[in-house]
Amino acid sequence: MPVVLTVDPRSGVPIYQQIVEQVKRSTALGVLQSGEQLPTVKQLALDLTINPNTVARAYRDLERDGVIETSPGRGSFVKGDGDAASTRAAASDVTRRAFEGAVREAKSMGLLRADIDRVVDTVLDRWFPEER
Amino acid sequence: MNITVSHLSKKYGSLAAVDDLSVEIPAGTIFGLLGPNGAGKTTAFKCMLGLARGSSGGVTFGGKALAPPLFESIAYVPERDVLYDWMRVSELVEMNRRAFARFKADRAFELLATFGIDTRKRARALSKGMKTAVAAAIAFARHADLLVLDEPTSGLDPVNQRHVLNLMVNEAARGATVLFSSHQIGPVERAAERIAVLDRGRLVLEGGIDDLKSGRKIVEAIFPNESYSLDGIAGDPRVGRIDRSGRIVRVMALDAPSEIVQKLEAAGGTGVRIIDLNLEDIFLYAVAPASATADVVEGS
Repeated sequence: MPVVLTVDPRSGVPIYQQIVEQVKRSTALGVLQSGEQLPTVKQLALDLTINPNTVARAYRDLERDGVIETSPGRGSFVKGDGDAASTRAAASDVTRRAFEGAVREAKSMGLLRADIDRVVDTVLDRWFPEER
Repeated sequence: MNITVSHLSKKYGSLAAVDDLSVEIPAGTIFGLLGPNGAGKTTAFKCMLGLARGSSGGVTFGGKALAPPLFESIAYVPERDVLYDWMRVSELVEMNRRAFARFKADRAFELLATFGIDTRKRARALSKGMKTAVAAAIAFARHADLLVLDEPTSGLDPVNQRHVLNLMVNEAARGATVLFSSHQIGPVERAAERIAVLDRGRLVLEGGIDDLKSGRKIVEAIFPNESYSLDGIAGDPRVGRIDRSGRIVRVMALDAPSEIVQKLEAAGGTGVRIIDLNLEDIFLYAVAPASATADVVEGS
């Protein structure tokens, strides 16, 4: 298992959610590749010194979101056939959540859809200058 | 082995050390009992295990009342006076081997070695932390269905503290139920799945740590002027406490924080943000609501 997951138990973010987000991010970045095996629930619980039910809950969420698949007796594996589509889906997921937070804040500060649209365009122009 | 505690009480004169405690501890969980010093954690354990006279209420273990056949499957480590001081550590291991059929002496010696304990020493020659470690090592070698550990990490250095927590994780991974108390938040926040918080003998909070962290948030909003109404929010059962300082309002959401966000926005609040609470924040709020909230107001 090359990927070392870490958790911060003192954070206000639930531990299972920290694991879910890290696995999704690692998948999006290609650090975790499709077909790669995740540690067993017991192993990850011992590695992180967290209770096994929390790891099991994270794995269930990842399975529900189509990020991993678990086959009884064999273990949990990163899903996908090495195709770009699953990696892009995971990356979109990470991006969407970050974006959602920004939009929520913008809206609560009183910005209108058109205002936010303009901000998004400015940012996209900066990062994709060739597609202006 | 699941444990059902119902209406457990224990009085010392007019003082209720444990006051009508009811809690369900599901099988296979690591369950942390938190509380300030003197909150009744030790007394609660003693009552549950039938070691405190004159307590009332009921406790069942896997649906059964406590009786001799269960003693083999329950390992209890009290906070202090746990070892016979005159015995050598190796003799304590031997005593447990004779007393409990499932006890694995090899495992006990292996664990004692990882704690760096010289088994030829007499118990009285050990430091408080090392006594705790010996008692824990012996308990973990019992192969019990339920471990009841009173302050198992107190007095231990960070390395051995982590070691004890990992052994608890290991026990839970093989299906055992682990119930432990702590007056420190750290070990509980890391290793426990569910918690109960005792304060002056009463249960003030209970639940899964991750669920508590998902549900309990401070929601902050800023209003354009000081004439705003929070009528629809103050009466919401999911709202724990509201602090106002001028145009800034901070609401303690006990559940469904995103719905509290919507309500604050509907009331005209802007810049609404959700502030995460860790277990220490949640704990302080549960045992001392007023001062904890004052901290939140000043600190953020």
